Amino acid sequence: MLDNMESFETLFIQHFSEESKPIDYYLNSMRGYSALKKALGMTQDDIILEVKKSNLRGRGGAGFPTGMKWGFIPKKSAKPKYLVCNADESEPGTFKDRDIMRYTPHLLIDGMAIAAHAIGANIGYIYIRGEYTRETKILNEAIDEAYKNGYLGKNIQGSEFSFDLTVHRGAGAYICGEETGLLNSLEGKRGEPRVKPPFPAQAGAFGGPTIVNNVETLAAVPFIINRGGDWFSKLGKLEKSGGTRLFCVSGHVKKPGVYELPAGSVTLRQLIYGYCHGILGDKKLKAVIPGGSSAPVLTADEIDVIVDIEPLMKIGTMLGSAGIIVVSEDYCVVKLLKRIVKFYAHESCGQCTPCREGCKWMEDILHRIEDGHGREQDIALLLEVADNINGKTLCALGDAAAGPVISFVKKFRADFEAHIRGGKCPNV
Amino acid sequence: MPKCVINGREAEFSPGQNLIEVAKQAGISVPYFCYHPGLSVVAQCRMCAVEIEKMPKLQTACSTMATEGMVVKTDSPRVLQAQKSTMEFLLINHPLDCPICDKSGECDLQDHSFNHGDAYSRYTEERRTYMDLDMGPVIKKNMNRCIHCTRCIRFGTEVSGIHEMVALKRGNDTEISTVDGRSLETDYAGNYADICPTGSLTVKDFRFKKRVWLLKKTPSVCEGCSRGCNMEIHQDANIVYRCVPRENMAVNKFWMCDEGRFNFQYIHDENRLIEPLVAEIHQKNAQLIPSDWSIAIDTAKSILMGKKTAVLVGSDLTQEEGTLLQQFLPQHLPDAEIYHFGTPGVVSTRDDAPADRLLKRRSKTSNLNGLEKLGFKGFEKFSQNIEAVFVIRGGKAILPNLSGLQVVGLGVFEKLQAEKFSVVLPGTSFAEKDGTIVNFEDLSQKIRRAILPPGQCKSLSEVLMMWTHRKKSFGAA
Repeated sequence: MLDNMESFETLFIQHFSEESKPIDYYLNSMRGYSALKKALGMTQDDIILEVKKSNLRGRGGAGFPTGMKWGFIPKKSAKPKYLVCNADESEPGTFKDRDIMRYTPHLLIDGMAIAAHAIGANIGYIYIRGEYTRETKILNEAIDEAYKNGYLGKNIQGSEFSFDLTVHRGAGAYICGEETGLLNSLEGKRGEPRVKPPFPAQAGAFGGPTIVNNVETLAAVPFIINRGGDWFSKLGKLEKSGGTRLFCVSGHVKKPGVYELPAGSVTLRQLIYGYCHGILGDKKLKAVIPGGSSAPVLTADEIDVIVDIEPLMKIGTMLGSAGIIVVSEDYCVVKLLKRIVKFYAHESCGQCTPCREGCKWMEDILHRIEDGHGREQDIALLLEVADNINGKTLCALGDAAAGPVISFVKKFRADFEAHIRGGKCPNV
Repeated sequence: MPKCVINGREAEFSPGQNLIEVAKQAGISVPYFCYHPGLSVVAQCRMCAVEIEKMPKLQTACSTMATEGMVVKTDSPRVLQAQKSTMEFLLINHPLDCPICDKSGECDLQDHSFNHGDAYSRYTEERRTYMDLDMGPVIKKNMNRCIHCTRCIRFGTEVSGIHEMVALKRGNDTEISTVDGRSLETDYAGNYADICPTGSLTVKDFRFKKRVWLLKKTPSVCEGCSRGCNMEIHQDANIVYRCVPRENMAVNKFWMCDEGRFNFQYIHDENRLIEPLVAEIHQKNAQLIPSDWSIAIDTAKSILMGKKTAVLVGSDLTQEEGTLLQQFLPQHLPDAEIYHFGTPGVVSTRDDAPADRLLKRRSKTSNLNGLEKLGFKGFEKFSQNIEAVFVIRGGKAILPNLSGLQVVGLGVFEKLQAEKFSVVLPGTSFAEKDGTIVNFEDLSQKIRRAILPPGQCKSLSEVLMMWTHRKKSFGAA
């Protein structure tokens, strides 16, 4: 461990152990549902104000302030309002929501009930990644428990507020993690993102005002209600970024896994060399993808950066879902980029032109370069195709594919050129 | 009216109008593929990207509503570059088969490629190909040409009401197809080809018959039912090759049913009678023998005059023809009883009603309302002692049972229809005459002559003129 590390408070990770926590554990050891009871005595505006004070920012990738998002929901609506939990967790390199649902499902249910009360929704969905079969079962059991104990259903804890919660399984598409694609899928349609505006807060699920929040975001809500927005905000070490964050570290580190740290408290270097004990085989670090595979890549020289939303944005990448992928020196970055782009080409929904045609084109070009058949002009072509996708697509998937291409080629251009000239990878 | 600025030009708009429409009004065209004014907005093709002041990214003009003071550029270097890149993306997998494609010449993809695209391609990878699919008798699908605009899918769900076109698979492999590869069921299938911005969906009937730039286009109105859908007749060298819908938001919007679309085919049917015919008795069997106009008219006169005669006026005739008959009939057949006819079971406009949820009406003739307004009575049955009938129609009014009666037919008939007729005077179809028809909503619309009548066919006015001026009878009877 590094010297300058002080002890700090964690919210989730101490409960992440072998088994799913039943409702008894949640009630007795985690002050379970006390936040919901407290929230039921608060006005909707007070809850939203508390969340605004907490500086809780969306943990799904965009980092949008949660309280502000809730504030967009109209007070009165002719159509029913909905609360949807985005548990699709499909960004490669991300696996934190799985642990929350697996170990502390009631925390999510608690948070959702509070959020639903705050926005005036009586129907909630957890849209869960289809591959999470175990978590689906755990959530369904937890929901049953919550119904039996009067934390879900009609007139929760004797109040006026009713809330029904359903788990909806996805069918395995990355794009259904995009909130409007998720809503289409939830409605039984093709999982394709919608044109925005209207945003979900105006017209979301089944045309009703809808809030879509990430699992980690919603699971943080009970803590905020119980201990106050100011307390939560101060957990974070940077302005405008409250609470703790779950970092998912994967790749060539000695101790990969989920780490919970106060938001904005560590640098990438501390995380990789401190908490994760450095690179496998004590090799040199080649690259770090800091926020799920769609985040622009960083080189070994750029890791003295605080791992949080603003600092990473300043150096041209993003925290995203905090899925940190570490790459050691003996791994081929061309191969890595090809694999990433192949993923996005495969997961493109195909409705808008640049993403449907461009992602596959980039994949083909990268395949050619990696295969040793690249041509001198391919690098320029690759960048131009990426540029023609970037910012020109209907949803963010196009950017997610173009961002890595542009950053990889820019930062590891020598590797690409070596592939083209030498016909094979110089590092492997 | 609120105003915005497009390319430095002030443009007025009504609230809720998107930038494509506002620009169109201002005389600026923004290229697009997936947008269609009659369908929902999906912003998928990205071709209509424009630059808007104070917005960092380019915005799609189809999904952006104009607002007061908005400053829009549709021809900035960034926009032109975006158009170029979209065209490149759309064309990398599009076959270069324009020379054998029926859409060529009226193809959005071709036009926009010419105007906004690059002349050469940087794509060296293998092109994407799909298996063919038979989509039934109306539409031919060629998926390789498809640019995934999803207009056809939206037309099915939003207009014709049948969700039969779907997108299968995803991403680069996305295929536009029918559910389970079934044949199309809708009666509006031809519209799929009209709205397709490429040659991916074409009308089988028109395939390989004519290059579209050779077609002459005449605005007219469909005679298929009392709706009166606006359409264009496309002909070359006196042959009608197709009819396509023409926009009229008050009548048919952008659409047309297949029945109306293919109605024109009888004009060139080989069984259409295009010369005057007179029945002669050979070995007890009456047979229609080609004759000339004088003889045929004289024979008709001798059959109809001095007998108990009825006149059936087809409600597929125009107002002009109806008026002419109102003057002619009392003078030349003063004792005849006169009815209009057209569709069995539809005696008057009271019986007319919608036949489906989109366009079709029960009256299968176009001018029922008009003839009724002129004072014609609907046909139910003849008086008991009627001996001869004079049937005057275009090509659409459905003949009632005329057995046991001597019949003189004036208009468009097929061989089998006129088998038992005594005289056939070949007339003109809707494509061979000008006139006015009145639809069920009292809307007067013009039909226009697109081609010359075939063979010896003559217009009604010509025939009545001959009838009037031939006082004496020669030769016949």
